[in-house]
Amino acid sequence: MADNMNVTLQEKDMKKVGATQKVTGVFAKILCYTFLFLIAIIVLFPFYWMIISSLKTLAEYKLSVPTLFPKEIIWHNYVEAFEAANLGTLFKNTVIVGVVSTILSLVITVLSAFAFARLEFKGKNTLFAALLATMMIPGELFTITNYQTVSALDWKDTYTVLIVPFLVSIFYIYLLRQNFMQIPNELYLAAKVDGTSDLKYLWKVMIPLALPTLISITILKMMGAWNSYMWPKLVTNDTNMELITNGLRNAYSDASGDTNFPVQMAAVAIVSAPLFLVFLFLRKYIMKGVSRSGIKG
Amino acid sequence: MVESKHKWKAWLYLAPAIVLLLIFTVWPIFNTVHVAFQEGYNELSLIGGESTKYGFGNFVDVVKYPGFVTALKNTLLLCVLTVPISTILALVIAVCLNSIKPLSRFLQTIYFLPYVTNSIAIGMVFAAMFNIVGSNIGGEAELITTSGIINNVIEFFGGEPVNWINSGSSYWANITVMVVYIVWNALPFKILILLGGLQSVNKQYYDAAKVDGTSRFRVFTKITVPLLSPMLAYVVITGFIGGFKEYSSIVGIFGDDMGHSGNREMDTMVGYIQDNIDRWQGRASAAALILFGIIFIVTMINLYVSKKKTHY
Amino acid sequence: MKFRKILVSVLLAVAMLTSMLSLFSCNKAKVAPEFVMPENGFDTSKKVTITFYHTMGAALREVLDAYIIEFNKLYPNIKIEHKQVGSYDDVRKTISTEITVGDQPNIAYCYPDHVALYNMAKAVQTLDVLIDSDKTVTDALGNETIIGLTQEQKDDFIQGYYEEGREFGDGKMYTLPLSKSTEVLYYNKTFFDEHGIQVPKTWDELEAVCQRIKEIDPDSIPLGYDSEANWFITMCEQLGSDYTTANGDNNFTFNNETNRSFVKRFREWYKKGYVTTQEIHGAYTSSLFTMAESEVGNSYMSIGSSAGASHQRPKKVNGAYPFEVGIATVPQVDANNPKVISQGPSLCIFKKSDPQEVLASWLFIKYLTTKVEFQAQFSMASGYIPVIKSVKDNPIYAEYLNKADGGDFITTLSVKVGLEQENAYYTSPAFNGSSVARDQVGFLIQRCFVASWKDSEVDAKIKAEFDKAVKECNYQIGK
Repeated sequence: MADNMNVTLQEKDMKKVGATQKVTGVFAKILCYTFLFLIAIIVLFPFYWMIISSLKTLAEYKLSVPTLFPKEIIWHNYVEAFEAANLGTLFKNTVIVGVVSTILSLVITVLSAFAFARLEFKGKNTLFAALLATMMIPGELFTITNYQTVSALDWKDTYTVLIVPFLVSIFYIYLLRQNFMQIPNELYLAAKVDGTSDLKYLWKVMIPLALPTLISITILKMMGAWNSYMWPKLVTNDTNMELITNGLRNAYSDASGDTNFPVQMAAVAIVSAPLFLVFLFLRKYIMKGVSRSGIKG
Repeated sequence: MVESKHKWKAWLYLAPAIVLLLIFTVWPIFNTVHVAFQEGYNELSLIGGESTKYGFGNFVDVVKYPGFVTALKNTLLLCVLTVPISTILALVIAVCLNSIKPLSRFLQTIYFLPYVTNSIAIGMVFAAMFNIVGSNIGGEAELITTSGIINNVIEFFGGEPVNWINSGSSYWANITVMVVYIVWNALPFKILILLGGLQSVNKQYYDAAKVDGTSRFRVFTKITVPLLSPMLAYVVITGFIGGFKEYSSIVGIFGDDMGHSGNREMDTMVGYIQDNIDRWQGRASAAALILFGIIFIVTMINLYVSKKKTHY
Repeated sequence: MKFRKILVSVLLAVAMLTSMLSLFSCNKAKVAPEFVMPENGFDTSKKVTITFYHTMGAALREVLDAYIIEFNKLYPNIKIEHKQVGSYDDVRKTISTEITVGDQPNIAYCYPDHVALYNMAKAVQTLDVLIDSDKTVTDALGNETIIGLTQEQKDDFIQGYYEEGREFGDGKMYTLPLSKSTEVLYYNKTFFDEHGIQVPKTWDELEAVCQRIKEIDPDSIPLGYDSEANWFITMCEQLGSDYTTANGDNNFTFNNETNRSFVKRFREWYKKGYVTTQEIHGAYTSSLFTMAESEVGNSYMSIGSSAGASHQRPKKVNGAYPFEVGIATVPQVDANNPKVISQGPSLCIFKKSDPQEVLASWLFIKYLTTKVEFQAQFSMASGYIPVIKSVKDNPIYAEYLNKADGGDFITTLSVKVGLEQENAYYTSPAFNGSSVARDQVGFLIQRCFVASWKDSEVDAKIKAEFDKAVKECNYQIGK
């Protein structure tokens, strides 16, 4: 009974304090929302601009008159962007490269992250530090040597060349290792005592627990295949091997080599659309996965 | 940690990654070092039968070149400006987002959109927004044909239109645009990390503060920031590493020339490497090693400072 | 103990990488030897596949495909695989990387500086031995022709275009022109007629016209000049002043009094609001030229590529063009001795170890550059100028040229003007770094125009910009 009294008293105290803060609270909320909406507009504006540009005529675009809405909506730009590139093949290639490289990459990443997170071996920390250090190197530098390597291996114009060189990502290994390390070690010890094999433990316990990270890796990897441009351009000469970004980008110069910007913007919009959709549907997982990497960095 | 009896197992699990890394990461690094010390190294003329000698010539070439000094200065400046701005902004946004219920999800989704875009393509969009078209801008025979949306807004509020990025624009106008764009680009990742951090912070701390009647600002500086310090450290470190590799955002705005009048006045370290990679691989390799050295040192300093300052 | 292990593993890794390194250095691509004409000439029975990189859009690829079919009627065993590799820069980048591993194509679209770059690796085949060959080949239709070019064929080329292939400092021929464009002066004919303004033939006349236009319409920029670099180079050629040389230690000779003074003169024009350029304006100056007269900043003259004529035509208003476009030769220092630039793609052949491949490549580029029907169709599809004069006699093409006007057939008009000035084309020396010089002089003009300097310091500042440009050029070529 006395305890109950105490609780109600405390609640009353809190209500008092709450009342004094209420006025400032409402004000702060309004401020908060105004600020957040302002930022949202700033974030969204470029996308809006991209879409209206993709609907303008070339003349209207070139005039660089900042018309906020196209004088005349040209849906045909999208048709043109579609027709100019061989979209069927491009989608097929991108999906094959995306799916295969994602699966292989996941296997490699899971195994490596497991080794770094759960197993103890000589030089582990040194090796991990060394791997993290390579993340600091500008990737452009690898291009020339890698190009020579794949040419020497005679991999040009194959799916292999689009998939293999980028299978290992230190960043993903790092992400997943962080995630694995959060899983209590006792689970692993118990599994060991039960005689469960490493792989079974990995499959039954660690992977389900790290699913959000794995899904976000999957999506990041797919995004990579979707957006990759420089490397495929370098290593594929056969138009049947092109990926979507290359195919779409190659397709709109006219006779004088002049670029049809609205059509290009339309193409950028088309290329971005699947990613946006995937993002909207799997938002939760992507965000969870990416944000987890930040905890206990 | 478990002392595995079968240590070879660890290496077995690591084998695929290590093999691929040796071929596509370690070997290029090694090759880069090798090339960096061959004076005037140039693939094409080597094939054409010329030979090179070992030495520090490439490094001298790089450091003595005024354009490289500019690139270094720009890279540092952009880092020093964008990392704090984007971190603070992201922090404020994350705190605001965390304090509201309705529409929170919707806004989060919007803020994350820049993460799934191509920075060159959206850079072109930014360039169009900051555009100003005309001749003799600011001079006697000034004629302005059209100005981008940003200048329209400035004019609407009675200001003078600014030449942000076009020919004849000032260095600081360019830097401003770059900062805006880079911050725009960097926000999603930072907001996400910080928001994730905030959501995992124990609510009890805040309830306690509420009872004490602590002011919002004090709550922010005394509770939120210290509790978020590991995430803040992470965001700052990755921000610096990314900042030192700044390149494609500038291409998006200024094009491959990295500037508006051919001076490459907005050049960055990676820009210098890219510019030389076609023809002077020796110089590009030397510059890449210098860049690596700088990133390494800065990261070490960051780690040292964050170890001292973060509260777990 | 621990340290020793680390040391051992590090040493092991280094040893492994070193062995890889030596493996790769041994594998460094070697460029195929110089072509030697086989005893029996071209073997028509042997199947060869030829790869060809270009930048053609869909419309031009259609023309090319049609004539590959025609070509295969003559040489059924030569298979042509062609590919659009993006822009000219993409072609250059792709090929220069491919040369490092020996994967370059057989034929490529090229600009002179690309050839100079590829030639650092000595990868481009000189054409003299092919052009001069009098060995014969019998095609599938039974016609016997010589492998080389006949005197008639050589003379048929527009001289300035043909000579570009020989501008590499060693007197050897490296490229054949495929299709060309030039700079022309577009002017608002309706406006000129209305105000009784004569089309300027010289720079002095141009200055007077600009002044006149400014009086009539103070809110205009009378002239838009697209390419700053072309302006500089063309001025050097017209004034006879030094620009660059392909030989010698000092390639970059453009830093001289004559050049500085014309830059100073044009800077004054810019400051008076007479002129703007593509880079300063931020877009092709055709966008100013096609603006309505009532708008601020419109132009009445535009100097731009002849291939871009359709962009210089104003949009129809109520079914009619608001004004008629006239096209003329660009202004000159000496109107009696005109000099105009030539640009547009040429074709080069890469060395290959199989001489039959080189011969097949040669037969194909010879076909493309000398076949009248192809040249005519290509010109009509692209708006580029054909490289051989006899195209004008082709009935279909002659009819096409007859339609030339300043409205619907503006592209035709620009081609016609381009063909009429066939004796005015000049070429500049090409060497490794010639494109650097080109870029730098363009930037130079741009910077000198927009900079705000005090009158007293203009000369010194211009001199400083020139010095800087030369320095930059030298750095870019590795000096």
